[in-house]
Amino acid sequence: MPYLGSEDAVRELRRALSNPNVQSDQLRYRNTILKVIRLPSLVEYVEQPLTAGLKDRAACVRRVAVLGWAKLHNLQPNSEIDAAVVNELYTLLRDPDPVVMVNCLRALEEILKEEGGVAINKPITHHLLKRLKESDVWGQCEVLRILQRYRPQSEDELFDILSLLDASLVSPHPPVMAATLSLFLSLCSGLPAVNLAALERVRAPLLAACGSVSREMRFTALCHIQLLLRSLPGLMGAHYKRFFCGYAEPAYIKQRKMQVLVELVNDENVAMLLDELKGYCTDVNADTAQAAISAIGRIGRSYSDRCLEILTGLLGLKQEHITSAVVQTMRDLVWVCPQCSDTVCLALEGCEETLQDSQGRQALLWLLAVYGERISSAPYTLEVFIDGVRSEASLGVKMELLTTTMRLFLCRPAETQDMLGRLLHYCIEEETDMCVRDQALLYYRLLHCGIEETQKVLQGRRSDPSLGVLIGRPAEPISQWACSFNTLKPLRQGSVETESASRGSPEHVTFDPKPNTDLSDTLDCSQTETLLYKLIIFAHKTHVVYKIQCFIIKYPTIYKPTSRAGSKPFGCPRRD
Amino acid sequence: QKLVKAKMISPNCLFCHIIRQRSQRHLIYYHIREIKAANPHNREARTYGIRNFFFVLICRNYKGDVDMAEIDHFLPLLMQHEEEGLLCPVLSHGNVHFMWIKHSNLYLVATTNKNSNASLVYSFLYKLVEVFTEYFKELEEESIQDNFVVVYELLDELMDFGFPQTTDSKILQEYITQQGTKLEVAKSKVPTTVTNAVSWRSEGIKYKKNEVFIDVIESINVLVNANGNVMSSDIVGSIKLKTMLSGMPELRLGLNDRVLFALTGRDKGKTVVMEDVKFHQCVRLSRFESDRTISFIPPDGESELMSYRINTHVKPLIWIESVIEKFSHSRVEIMVKAKGQFKKQSVANNVEVRVPVPSDADSPKFKTSTGTAKYVPEKNMVVWTIKSFPGGKEFLMRAHFGLPSVENNELEGKPPITVKFEIPYFTVSGIQVRYMKIIEKSGYQALPWVRYITQSGGTLIRLQYNMTYCFRNVFYLSKGSDVEM
Repeated sequence: MPYLGSEDAVRELRRALSNPNVQSDQLRYRNTILKVIRLPSLVEYVEQPLTAGLKDRAACVRRVAVLGWAKLHNLQPNSEIDAAVVNELYTLLRDPDPVVMVNCLRALEEILKEEGGVAINKPITHHLLKRLKESDVWGQCEVLRILQRYRPQSEDELFDILSLLDASLVSPHPPVMAATLSLFLSLCSGLPAVNLAALERVRAPLLAACGSVSREMRFTALCHIQLLLRSLPGLMGAHYKRFFCGYAEPAYIKQRKMQVLVELVNDENVAMLLDELKGYCTDVNADTAQAAISAIGRIGRSYSDRCLEILTGLLGLKQEHITSAVVQTMRDLVWVCPQCSDTVCLALEGCEETLQDSQGRQALLWLLAVYGERISSAPYTLEVFIDGVRSEASLGVKMELLTTTMRLFLCRPAETQDMLGRLLHYCIEEETDMCVRDQALLYYRLLHCGIEETQKVLQGRRSDPSLGVLIGRPAEPISQWACSFNTLKPLRQGSVETESASRGSPEHVTFDPKPNTDLSDTLDCSQTETLLYKLIIFAHKTHVVYKIQCFIIKYPTIYKPTSRAGSKPFGCPRRD
Repeated sequence: QKLVKAKMISPNCLFCHIIRQRSQRHLIYYHIREIKAANPHNREARTYGIRNFFFVLICRNYKGDVDMAEIDHFLPLLMQHEEEGLLCPVLSHGNVHFMWIKHSNLYLVATTNKNSNASLVYSFLYKLVEVFTEYFKELEEESIQDNFVVVYELLDELMDFGFPQTTDSKILQEYITQQGTKLEVAKSKVPTTVTNAVSWRSEGIKYKKNEVFIDVIESINVLVNANGNVMSSDIVGSIKLKTMLSGMPELRLGLNDRVLFALTGRDKGKTVVMEDVKFHQCVRLSRFESDRTISFIPPDGESELMSYRINTHVKPLIWIESVIEKFSHSRVEIMVKAKGQFKKQSVANNVEVRVPVPSDADSPKFKTSTGTAKYVPEKNMVVWTIKSFPGGKEFLMRAHFGLPSVENNELEGKPPITVKFEIPYFTVSGIQVRYMKIIEKSGYQALPWVRYITQSGGTLIRLQYNMTYCFRNVFYLSKGSDVEM
């Protein structure tokens, strides 16, 4: 670094600091303080100029000096807090220069971190609010953020504050607008009506931020709109066109926009929306295309006919990534809307040729397992999979294949028996992966228990058990997300959600894996079977076979525990 | 100073200097992408050909609670996400978050380990770009390398201990000058503006002739889908000022704002409803909110006084109909008809119609009824330029391309047709400057000049593609295939 460390530099700095009138040269003062503040060895020389700096006539010196105290504290976090300095800083909150005022807040925040930051009382609050307009954007955000800590004493005072803040709520600067809204939400946490009105009021500036030139700002605005929509699904309904994607927009914006579009769908705009989404399905970016397809699937939960028509049409393109996404989407759709199954079964014929990736094939296998009796070609499709199992690389596909073959065997035994035998033989005798082998052994022993037991375990649900109870997602209370509003969190949230929603079987999405961690003996028997089934499915995704084993040991009626070490598997069902 | 520069050029010298914003650090990344692929259709050659060189160009740690070395994780993360197509403006490594923006070939990265305010950070990064651009005309690697001292000085001035300080480039320019050596001499005098109540204008400005130029620029964004329906349209307008006035003048601008007219009870003539009005910080917002008066002390020189959006249904000013027929393995034929749907008296200048063509097209042939058409192979498009386009007129362009018999396997996007133009002396919304009052203590006479321009912000006409487009047996048609030439 050019001006730190060297002896010459230190000597010069020391000389500059020992000059009692160092602050009379304003720029030199600033430079000296800025440099020194990083050198612990010079700390003792700085205090005097800093104290003098606080009282200086020039605002720019005071600005530097105020933050200088914060830096000093940061250098020696354990040193005692000088009460005189703190008092001086509180006095400087009344400084005529708005930047000095805001810097004082920032410095006090830092110095008094242990005590919970700067103390905000009624006079300070009112003073800050009065002078809010004088500060620049950065200062306003800082003040608004710190004011969140204030609790008005009476309702009248609260409403006075709110009316003062009303202008900032529709500020053209997104950071100020967001900071004000955040303050509103924290001030009126007990007044839902006021909160709603505030949210209505920020709609226009938020939409404007969505059209801002900078893509990062657009992205941020979109993420925050997603937060708002969690509580107020109808907030942006009429403005759905603002969320149509532009050709040149980056994929992350397109995907967020689609997530928003899904929330905005209603009877009037569904045709337009689907038309638009259909256009995105053939996007060059495979991820965007897949996001569009799963968005259509989400809409399909309420408008299944139109969506299925589009999805079936997309299968006709015979594109690898599109077909895979469509099959996964269909699987998720059928799980919540069993009435779609007929169309889906028809559409599935012949799409195994285009499917390449493991996610897509897993989805296809799941569908074959659940609706095997209705898809006439199911055993033939399965046979292709089983013939290729040796070269199969994906663990997930192998596990799914086992389950599918088992379930298909239950409804179409004549056609499937032979291949089930081959598959089990391969998996037990030759497979090197423990998960697959264990799973195969489990099924094999299950078959030993008789067909009825097997059926009990394997005949799982075809649709979401919570269906019918819950229509649409309930609106969340605002307090759920108010604390993370206007921070980094919403930007990180959505991307994780979409990832988990687009992967894995539907049961996995809806099945809450938590109970898994503390399985208790208090479960009654009927629960046990569903749970076991769920666990099997769950194990496919997470490979926690050992947990099932522990579990099965508790319920030996289904599974006979055997020693696994070096055991040669029991004979396999062979076609003799 | 020379020494400093020489050191910086060597990439392995991470000559970092420090900054932070509530525990954020700003770094400017330099990124060169070298593409050596001789044959762009050969995928293998392409992956080998691209080499990324990144190095930290400049770095300032404001608070020091994020380790300087953390930035080393940014590059691999960025590249990994880019490859997977999961790029996002926030990347995280452990508990450190990188918020980045890209400006030409530079990355500006802020790092934080707190749950900080994202919109504020991005605003600051953009402010940084704005200030640097004002200083160096263009923000790029060279301008930073040539001006390290000024850049550090600016970084210090813009932010202190993680908190943004003076960010107005006009003010900064008064005491941080381009020449590093001059800085030492000029140091002792801080401009009054730093402490002034009117922070955007210095005192004692003098002009021989007092004038103010007002530009009303409206750009219209229209998105037309393949069936010829207007999907969305809006007008984004801005009023720009070039002030050449002495002293501390007080200005008042009158527009034909509907809300104002309703307030004062007048309703003659055309009025407009403006949404999302944004003002320069000089405008007294409280007065605007109480009685819709736009009054201000203008900054000297050029500035954007306000911007607004009008959300009305506008028809595209230049209507495009196109027929694009692709005969696989042999040729593509394109016919585009452009029609001016604005007043006969007005003339659109520098009209540019950009029509996408397949990337493997060759041997272009054009026929136009006016203007010139040019093939831009690097962007895969035909650009049809018409210098002047009178309202109500109709023009045609025909293009013919050959296609190779062996086609590439790359998936191609479906870019829309874009239209660019500029119509002077005309605003779509009908906004008018009714008056501009200039009051100064000395009482001089000043002349306001007003100019109106309408531009296309991007009229996009999506093409209708057969769904089979994805695998190249393309045949794409747009509405109005019955156009005869």
